[in-house]
Amino acid sequence: MIEKHKKPTRFQRLRNWDSLKLLKYAVIGFFALFLMIPLLSVFIVSFTGEPVNLFGSFVNPEILSTNIERLQNASFEHYANLFSSGSVYLSALNNSLLLSILVSVIVIVMCLPIAYAFARTAMPFKKTLAALCTMPIIVPTFISAAGFIIMFGRTGWVTHVFNTMLGTEGAIFNVYSMLGIILVQVFFFFPFALWPMVAAFKIADLSVEEASRNLGAKSWSTMVFVTLPLALPGMISSALLIFTVSFSDFGTPIILAPDGLNLIVVQAYREISGFFNWAGASILTVIMVIVAAIFFWLQRLATKGKDYGTVSGKPKKVKLNAKKAVTLPLFTYTSLVVLLPVLTVFSVFIQSIATTWGRDLLPRGFTLDHYATIFTRSTDNIMNSIILASGALVISVIVATLVSYFVVRQNATKLDFIASIPLVVPGIALGIAFIQTFNTAPLQLTGTAFLLIVAYAIRRMPYMIRSTMGSMMAIRSDIEEASVNLGASRLLTLTTIVGPLMLPGIVAGSILVFVTVIKETSVTILLAPSEWAPMSLMVFQNILRGQMYTASAMAILIIGVVLILQLVANRLTKNSLY
Amino acid sequence: MGSVTVKGLVKQYSDVPALKGVDLNIREGEFYALLGPSGCGKTTTMRCIAGFEDITEGDIYIGAQRVNDVAANRRNCGMVFQSYALFPHYNVFENVAYSLTVRDLYRGSYGKRVKSFARLMSKKLGKPPKELYQKVMDALQTVELDHLAERGVGELSGGQQQRVALARALVMEPAVLLMDEPLSNLDKKLRNTMRTTIRTIQQEIGITTIFVTHDQEEAMSMADRIAVMKDGEIVQQATPTELYGKPLTPFVADFVGSSNIYDATVIDGRQVKINDQFVVHTNGVTENGEAKVLIRPEGIKILREHSESRNVIEGKVTMSTYFGPNIRYDVNVGEATVVVEQEFEPGIPVYDQGDHLFLHIPEERVLLL
Repeated sequence: MIEKHKKPTRFQRLRNWDSLKLLKYAVIGFFALFLMIPLLSVFIVSFTGEPVNLFGSFVNPEILSTNIERLQNASFEHYANLFSSGSVYLSALNNSLLLSILVSVIVIVMCLPIAYAFARTAMPFKKTLAALCTMPIIVPTFISAAGFIIMFGRTGWVTHVFNTMLGTEGAIFNVYSMLGIILVQVFFFFPFALWPMVAAFKIADLSVEEASRNLGAKSWSTMVFVTLPLALPGMISSALLIFTVSFSDFGTPIILAPDGLNLIVVQAYREISGFFNWAGASILTVIMVIVAAIFFWLQRLATKGKDYGTVSGKPKKVKLNAKKAVTLPLFTYTSLVVLLPVLTVFSVFIQSIATTWGRDLLPRGFTLDHYATIFTRSTDNIMNSIILASGALVISVIVATLVSYFVVRQNATKLDFIASIPLVVPGIALGIAFIQTFNTAPLQLTGTAFLLIVAYAIRRMPYMIRSTMGSMMAIRSDIEEASVNLGASRLLTLTTIVGPLMLPGIVAGSILVFVTVIKETSVTILLAPSEWAPMSLMVFQNILRGQMYTASAMAILIIGVVLILQLVANRLTKNSLY
Repeated sequence: MGSVTVKGLVKQYSDVPALKGVDLNIREGEFYALLGPSGCGKTTTMRCIAGFEDITEGDIYIGAQRVNDVAANRRNCGMVFQSYALFPHYNVFENVAYSLTVRDLYRGSYGKRVKSFARLMSKKLGKPPKELYQKVMDALQTVELDHLAERGVGELSGGQQQRVALARALVMEPAVLLMDEPLSNLDKKLRNTMRTTIRTIQQEIGITTIFVTHDQEEAMSMADRIAVMKDGEIVQQATPTELYGKPLTPFVADFVGSSNIYDATVIDGRQVKINDQFVVHTNGVTENGEAKVLIRPEGIKILREHSESRNVIEGKVTMSTYFGPNIRYDVNVGEATVVVEQEFEPGIPVYDQGDHLFLHIPEERVLLL
């Protein structure tokens, strides 16, 4: 019955060749070129100790033979040096681990009462406090660090108030120290942990608690033995998240770490930009990625399969604790915690409109000159930021839309995995990998705005994908089939049907990309050519030069832009935190 | 317009066979229903014809053209989806215009292509050409929705959405119209109206139509011919009358209409003993031995008094149910249960649980399967 199939001619095969398939290879190529190969070459360099030009090996046999020679000299020597006692790298790793562990433990302990207050009590001014408890994460850390200097530095106003009150001399504590870094990170990263913990407290099964109380347990023992253990997975996962964030943070340590304090991100930065030490920078990069990956994996493990397991279909009305004896202390405590970040930003603001300020509670006078300065002399930086951020946005939108399409519709799990790798690559690590890979011909891109844009796009890709994937999943597949049935190719369907339907997710995601690119420092400092210096780099350089007034004005501008865009994005996705 | 021929269609999902060799011969202009329980492969068959599934083996022809290697968007089959799958970001007019605009985009002059693409992205970017506008409005008129052309599809009722989906499929003048359970999302009353609408439009245009459904009533009332499917195979292809009157297997008999199906022993070719309980005569001729017997409930007559004629048996009512315009009795005859359906008319005697009655089963109503 079945007739022998006629083989389709070459022309037919070409015509039926799915244009989407080509796009899929293009996307995979993009990730290979700008993510996998840079990471691979850093890994190789960490053994060879000398730069390996992977792209060169493909086009130039001479380079290939040099590379092979270098590969033959590869050894564990550099790693052995790392673990020998007294090595700079080892102390950098130890210090970074210590910093991140301390920060995550302190954050969790500090957030416990606040999370409980938001989830389970009728604390007064809850909405205002919730907004204030979200604000810190939108402030770039190098600006928070600068704010700390304005407050607690030797000439800071808090130091002044403290000294006048107690009649003492000198700083309360040295901001340029481990303590200073810890404080900045704790008070500006805590929202990352707070909101997941609030969620964990909210969904831990209330009926179990009721049962406990019903069996005669006092409310405090219910809290300790029932509520806390139920919220524990949420807390552990938050702690691990804070660890990763703190470990890869570059803004705080680069401003506040004193010469004697070695931290892995700062050390890596110095190795590459100060000494051009390829081996050292690569080893530190490999270690950073491994540590971040381990903690990221642990965090997944802590939340995996749990979904806080006790969510039942029946929504239960949470009975909020409204006892004044509970809510008032919680309110006071929460206000005190948010007071510090609020004052920090406020100090930056005052600095930006001060004529001279130092060794006093208030500035001598107020002026808008600094803003006039940045809007006349630094318009280039503002334009650069906009152009770079827009470029990164365009790349992320296209790649993320395609990735979510392939992952959701064609179940491309490997692509999903590759696209989420940037989550575990700290900015400094990506910057170092890029410099090493694109330093020489045939793909000499270091020092171009293009490479910087690609680096931004890669770094923000996982977040963009999360945003687009959500709206992709909401589109039923038969809508696409209908379009194909009506004569449109898969590619045209993607442009005319899928794209427009995904628009809200794409817009929200791209605003967030824009925001984070404007805030970004680590990749910027490593990769930005001077003629392309964006706002964040200008602030950073001015802080280092001690030009705090213009730096503050620009910082306030950044915060303002970020705040407005973030609000727009939240409105679009309608995701409220409380 | 065109016929549809399917030869030895096999569809394999990794290890699980979904279709095990399906043969169909659908004539031009025919209204053809694929009927079967869920998971029988009827939707898969349709999706293979539409080109949404890669076929493992076999051939599909639309008209004279073998379409195995033709991409889904070049097959020219209009499909109406179960969920309608209307484009939520387009209004009614744009939904229906989609296929024509896409056609212009691929085939027109360069200026036309650019304009078509612009219109697909937003209706603000240009007006549709007159000819296209007229075609779309004609299609909307066919489904009586021309007055709602500028509405958003979200503002329409289920029945209206259904009609937009139909107009959208028809406007491209497809060779075949495919409908996947198109009525299952409508309420019963609307379903009956839509049945008539669809059938009328199909007759007017004379388009070859393949209709997938699990509802035998729907298939029987609309289709010219029906293929009953089970476990990836076609069990019987026939007209509704044939299917009802001469089902080939107990499965078909049971699926199409309600039925009494019994294990029976054939005595001397013309008499059967049912369930070892009672003996009836039959027209059907078969060899002695074991057989399956089908008696349609509405073929059985209820007698008030005993009659000496052939095929009259006595029974006792165990349950009586009102069933739409019919009354249904479950009657115990010995240890066998016979279901009887009688049209309700004023003045006929109604029996209650426990009542005795006599049943007359006409010989031609005793079918041997």
